[in-house]
This record gives sequence, C-alpha cells and structure tokens, in this order.
Amino acid sequence: MRRFDLIEPTTLAAAAGILADEPETKAIAGGTALLILMKQGVFLPQRLVNLKKVRDASYVDFDPRRGLRLGALTPIFDVESHPLVRRHYPVLADAAHKVANIRIRNLATIGGNIAHADYQSDPPAVLVALGARIATIGPSGERRLPVEEFLKGAYETALEPGELVREIEVPPPEPEFEGVYLKFVTRTAGDRPCAGVAAFARCDRGVVETLRIVVGAVNPVPVRMTAVEERLRGRRVDPAAVEAAAQLAAEAVDPIDDDLRGSAWYKRQVVPVLVRRALEQILGLVPSGRERS
Amino acid sequence: MTDLTLTLNGAAVSVSVQSNWTLLQVLRDRLGLKGAKEGCGVGVCGTCTVLLDGRPISSCLMLATNVAGRDVLTIEGLGGDGHLDPVQQAFLESTAFQCAFCTSGMIMATKALLSSMPDPSDEEVKDYLAGNLCRCGTYVEVLRAVRRARELVQATP
Repeated sequence: MRRFDLIEPTTLAAAAGILADEPETKAIAGGTALLILMKQGVFLPQRLVNLKKVRDASYVDFDPRRGLRLGALTPIFDVESHPLVRRHYPVLADAAHKVANIRIRNLATIGGNIAHADYQSDPPAVLVALGARIATIGPSGERRLPVEEFLKGAYETALEPGELVREIEVPPPEPEFEGVYLKFVTRTAGDRPCAGVAAFARCDRGVVETLRIVVGAVNPVPVRMTAVEERLRGRRVDPAAVEAAAQLAAEAVDPIDDDLRGSAWYKRQVVPVLVRRALEQILGLVPSGRERS
Repeated sequence: MTDLTLTLNGAAVSVSVQSNWTLLQVLRDRLGLKGAKEGCGVGVCGTCTVLLDGRPISSCLMLATNVAGRDVLTIEGLGGDGHLDPVQQAFLESTAFQCAFCTSGMIMATKALLSSMPDPSDEEVKDYLAGNLCRCGTYVEVLRAVRRARELVQATP
C-alpha cells in the first residue's frame, strides 16, 4: 500500500471540518472496503482522516417511542449481536449477520457500510424496508434524510463535501409485522449477495394488509417492489396469488450490469424466486425458519 | 514513523510504524511473529486472523495505528511452558490440516468462537468458521477438531 498521511481527530465535527477544508482528503472508518481499493491501487490517497479514534460514535440505543439509533462507527457485529436489535429488529440483526464473515463484521462499521454505498451489500435493503433515516454532520450543520434519498447510486450518496454519516435511525418496531431477509450467494458463504430480499408484511384475518418488499444488490440502489406489493395488498393469502405476484418482480428490477455474482439475465431469474420465498415465509405459507427451494 | 504501544500476547510492546502499515505487516515484518499469514489480503480467507480485545479480525485489513492501547492475541500467545492451548491440542489430535497454511487462522477463530459460545452446535460452528478457507479441504477434520476443542475447553477448570 502506498504511503499516505493519516489525520486522527477525536470528534466527528473535527473530522468533518478537515474534510470540508480539503476536498481531496477522504474518511476511513473500518477500512474493510477502502483498504482493499488502496491495496489494488484503485484509490491512492495523499491524506486520510481516520475515524477510528473518534469517541462516542459507536453505540446502540433503543427507545420504544423513538426507535433505534446506531452510531456511525458501530461495528456490524454489534448490530447483529446487540440484544435489543435482536429482539426488536431481528431482520436487521439477521442481515447484519449475513455480511461477509465474523472478522469483517468486527472491523466494518454500519456507517461506513451505508456511506460506501456498495450496491452489493446486505444491510441497505433492510434499512430501506424499515424506513431508516441517515443523520449526517457537516459544515452546514446536521441533516436527516431517508436512506433511499441518501443512496443516490452504486457508490454514490447524498453526502456533500465535508459531510459524514453521524447516526442511523430506525423507526420504532411495527407491531405484528412479520419480516425476513433472504440473501442469495453464488460463490462462497461469506460472499457479497448476488441478490437480497427484505420483506415485511402484516395480515389481518388472512388478508394482506401491509406489505413492503425491497430487493438489494441488483439495481444500483435497493428497489421497492411496488408492483408486487400492490398486487397482493387487500387480497387473501394464497400460494397461487403469491407465485403470480412474485413474477412481477422480474420486470421491476433493472440489474446494474453483469457482475461477479451473476449476469443481469441471471439476476432477473433469481429475484422472483427469492421474492416468492420471502413472501411464503412472512405470509405463513411455509413453517417459519424453513426456506423452501 | 509513529510509536505504537499495544498489549501483544499479554505483554506491553512498543514499535515504530508507518501510517500505511497493516497490523499483519507489523506482526510479521517488524515483530517477527509469522503465525498469522497473508493469504488473500482482502479479508476473505482468514489466514491472518488474530484476536483484538478477544474478537477475531482480519489483521490484513486493520491499520496498525488502530490497535494503539488495545489487546492483540496471536497464535504465538497460545499455550506456553511446553503445553499447548486446548484448541491447538484438539487440532493436532484431529489432524485438522494438510498444508497448514490456514491452521493458525482456524485455531484463532475457534478460540474466539469457544470463548463467546462455549457449547456451539455443528451448525453454529460452520456458520462461525465459514469465513476461514482451507484450500486442502480439511473442513471435516476441522469440524471434528472444534468438537474436540469444545470438550477439552469444557474439561479445563
């Protein structure tokens, strides 16, 4: 790795100030994405701002009325293992658990995950489905924006020069929601997803009342399956209807391109199958915890 | 160069490092600890696994500066005085290696697994160790070694 200067502020505000003054300087947190790009010579910084020495930015807070707040520098492993996340947001905990491997999850941060905006990642789809908001800090103060507005494209965010992710906010858990995150990998167990589906539903006496389905790792940003949702909303839960609705997902995705995890054509085949499996689980058409093929 | 002080295998250590050095480079090239290996260099294979404050990490993706004041355990810190750590003993008894390039990483990951989860099921072992690759394909023996390590650790007062 080429040499670079490392600046080590102890507050996010100080880090943001440096980044605002020096447009060429970038921030590094867990380093699991950036160090790879630097080793490969894709990214050759002169100066970096190390966020790992920032204090009080790694925390998991939960309040039943306010919801969940994750400090930007919280390791992904802490998101998956925190008792309150597991209890109130089990789907988010599961998606965090499905990221890479235990070593990476101990290093990588949830703020870095969202700020890097790698489209081939697990947490963003769930955060979109949960209606999360991203709180930022920067030269013009603090901002809060929905995660789907924050994510602008593959590796592109709404962050302005000098702005950093400060916190991720998830609304309070919704009662009687069934949810699931399904990850499909085509290489090793710890690989990035070929496709991922986050789905949440609430039924009232066998009728689908609310449904939210988000597909990740296919489009440049996580994408809501509104056509599938509309087809099933207000309808009685029925395997044939679910199967037919899931097919609409193939048309609703627009794969970014062929990538190492699957061609655009292949992802179009995979997505409706994953959406059907997710729906079958959350609508009680298969015993929970079992994934039908 | 800046001075870095950490606790390494139970002892305080100071070493001069450059900002662009990874923990793995410092361990191997500055401190002569060759147990952690550089396999893929991108956090996928697990041969560079060390424990930071008890948690497994890829030392190839950790800037050395970030371990200042923290506790690092490498394979060289296991056992001592002519005896092996129970996890090392279990891997030896189970011949859970062929070329052994992955072994120190497998042992460190198992060490972390058993300290956070003393009685893991086979499924939990497979899930935890999924990110430690063995290109000789000794996974069956590794699973047997972890089961044996679980017994030995539980038997150790």
